[in-house]
Amino acid sequence: MKQVININFQGRVVPIEVSAFDILKQYTESLNRHFANEEGKDEIINDIESRIGELFQERLTNGATCITEDDVNAVIKSMGRPEEFEDVEENAGTAPKTGPATASQEYSSAQSGHKRLYRDENNKVLGGVCAGVANYFGIDALVVRLIFIFSGIGFFAYILLWAFVPSSAQTVIGSKRKKLYRDSDDKIIAGVGSGLGNYFGINPWIPRVLFALPFLSFVFRWNHWGAFSFPEFVKFGFSPGALILYIILWLVIPEAFTTAEKLEMKGAKVDIDSIKNSVVEEMKGVQQRAQKFGKEASATVADKTKAFTSEAGNVARRGSRSLGDVIVFLLRLFAYFVIGCVGLVLVVGLFFLGFGAVGLFPLKDFLITDGWENAFAWGTLLFFIAVPIIGIITWIIRRLAKTKANRKMIRLSFGSLWVVGWICAIMLVSSLFNDFRYTNKNLVEQDIVLANPGVKKLELSSVSRLEKYTRSSWFRVEPFLGLEDDTAYIRNVEVRIVKATNDSFRVTTIKMASGRTKTQADNLANMIQFGGVQKDTLLQLDKGIAINKTDKFRNQYVILTVYVPVGKHIKIDRSIGWFDRIHFGINDRGDWDFDSDDEAHGWSADIEYEMRADGRLYSLDGRLAGTPRHTRVRVTSNDDDNYRYDSTNPMHKVDSMRQKVEKEQQHIKDSLEKQKEKIDKQLEKLGDTGDGGDDSQSINGARFPVYGPMVTVY
Amino acid sequence: MNIDNTASQMRKGVLEFCILSVIKQGEAYPSDIIDKMKAANLNILEGTLYPLLTRLKNAEFLTYRWVESNSGPPRKYFSLTEKGAEFYKELEATWFELANAVKALTDAEQEHFNNNNFNDPQ
Repeated sequence: MKQVININFQGRVVPIEVSAFDILKQYTESLNRHFANEEGKDEIINDIESRIGELFQERLTNGATCITEDDVNAVIKSMGRPEEFEDVEENAGTAPKTGPATASQEYSSAQSGHKRLYRDENNKVLGGVCAGVANYFGIDALVVRLIFIFSGIGFFAYILLWAFVPSSAQTVIGSKRKKLYRDSDDKIIAGVGSGLGNYFGINPWIPRVLFALPFLSFVFRWNHWGAFSFPEFVKFGFSPGALILYIILWLVIPEAFTTAEKLEMKGAKVDIDSIKNSVVEEMKGVQQRAQKFGKEASATVADKTKAFTSEAGNVARRGSRSLGDVIVFLLRLFAYFVIGCVGLVLVVGLFFLGFGAVGLFPLKDFLITDGWENAFAWGTLLFFIAVPIIGIITWIIRRLAKTKANRKMIRLSFGSLWVVGWICAIMLVSSLFNDFRYTNKNLVEQDIVLANPGVKKLELSSVSRLEKYTRSSWFRVEPFLGLEDDTAYIRNVEVRIVKATNDSFRVTTIKMASGRTKTQADNLANMIQFGGVQKDTLLQLDKGIAINKTDKFRNQYVILTVYVPVGKHIKIDRSIGWFDRIHFGINDRGDWDFDSDDEAHGWSADIEYEMRADGRLYSLDGRLAGTPRHTRVRVTSNDDDNYRYDSTNPMHKVDSMRQKVEKEQQHIKDSLEKQKEKIDKQLEKLGDTGDGGDDSQSINGARFPVYGPMVTVY
Repeated sequence: MNIDNTASQMRKGVLEFCILSVIKQGEAYPSDIIDKMKAANLNILEGTLYPLLTRLKNAEFLTYRWVESNSGPPRKYFSLTEKGAEFYKELEATWFELANAVKALTDAEQEHFNNNNFNDPQ
């Protein structure tokens, strides 16, 4: 059963099968291309077409109901395909153009003495780059291949050359010419894998497995999702990458519909190529091919080309004339540049947002309630973040490839999916906003029982001394301290140090939380478990506030107040938190923010202080606390841990950059002076004086880790 | 260098001469020309013929008139112009010159050729 259409062919109505019509159309197109540079092109084609029309009419008058594929093929056979035509032109004596390309070495030199670099598809191993380069320089392809393999840049250079060097097949008539199509005959999802297999001449299962591989590893790596260190980040980032790549290829690579396309896909010889494919003609061919899939009328291309050329001509003419047009042109160029930059930033931003969201996704169960909110979270990830990424990349590639098919439909579907994404994102945010609406009001100061409050010195730490050194470094998502199956630990702990009224230590906690209702907030605050055990001078506190998946993270927050008796020492280990707390939502706790002049917070982690009668802390060398030590750390140490620590230091400590810089300079000065004093003392002991403190200081800094017992050296 | 190429180069050189000689015998329609050439065992594709005719016409060696046809679109019937007749004469002279030369050069082969191929039915 075949569909029959009526066409107006040379002024006669001809009933013809659709498939036969496609063949006929391709044939006339190939004629058009063949005679493109001929003087009487229109006349020749007209003659040929009228002859074809005559032959058709003959069939119909002989009793055929319509023109079939066989009829068309028979007609084409009698007329001959363009590459079978015998050119009796002036150039008939030059190259053996009608025969298949024997060796492109011959070919490239035969081309009117002008050597050009082509990829040699006839002698290719991968893309014919090496063979082409070898042809160009007249050396053995094996030599070039070895150079490519053994030089480091070979791979990238190869890819670049593959992409940019034209294939010899494009200019040699009748030789193979492969195009990338999706193979719908042999598909599992969309035929991308089999299409790639066809293109590279490999088993379709190779690209399929390559696509699937990251997914397999993705599944195996599921438990390590919290890992945010860079190599792992890349690895699991690749798995959605494979999916995105697949979808993009799906959208970008056209499906092989017609027989000719299927032949092209497999690199078989297709007879519509011709020697007269100059660069211009090549462009025309691309347009025609794109058009074949598209629904636009065939006239538009011609119109467009005409319009474009006339426009281009106008621009060129006007451009040479008036300065105003030059300015307009430059402005337009600038506008495109800006648009390009914005687009690039958008894409990069979205990518980072996407990766960030994917990375934080395992934590979502601690934040988001099941049901609608969960659905919104997924919707946001997929539609709000992934869809525009895929959309923009697809758009760019389609622009580059000049594909026009289904533009409207794709735009529409991307647009509507993104609208869904927006709705999800807005619903998610508003729902979360509600979850953090209220803060508990029942603030009670609860004591942490100390076994021996009368010690001379108290050191607060959230990890035992041994653990401090083995603490796993894989965890990177601050401020979540750790992630177990259904518990996350957050370090929302603020430490305040005040003077005790008697001579024993006292440690209290105030617990806070937010919630959808006031009751919920109160409940969550009451549920916070945060305590500690005293061992001699060490008060080992819980490693963070435990958040489970049922109760979720709702700004659980602990204020730890340490009452230090006058004359006794206090040291807070950095593991307690204090610096990196996270906080969602509405309640501004600005009044608690850390001001370095605040007596309750004017101290740094990992330094031993002494409480004096004025209620202030003094470091052991007698300096008033309140100079954040971490800035000094950055000067004196290149310890990686400290560097990161410093970078996570919240900006709200200082109001402006200027102040910060001034302060830092001051600290550097102070620390240098201190170092110098120390060194001077040491040198005095040796009965000598001198300087050179700078050097020893840096050595000092590099030698000793900042945390731990050694830190007391400072 | 292969046999197909060389053979086709040889043929190309004489195609125009052959077409002109067919038309010289009387007004001709392209498919008549094809048929006559086929009868002489010289196969030519219509796709090759049409461009040649157009070129010869553009060079004012040929002229044509439209004749209504009952089996399709009107047909072009080609005939030689005066200029074309002169051109043909020159070609003819060249051809016989060439043919004689080739004959003289390949005389030794000729006998062999005759024995093998000449009696084949055409």
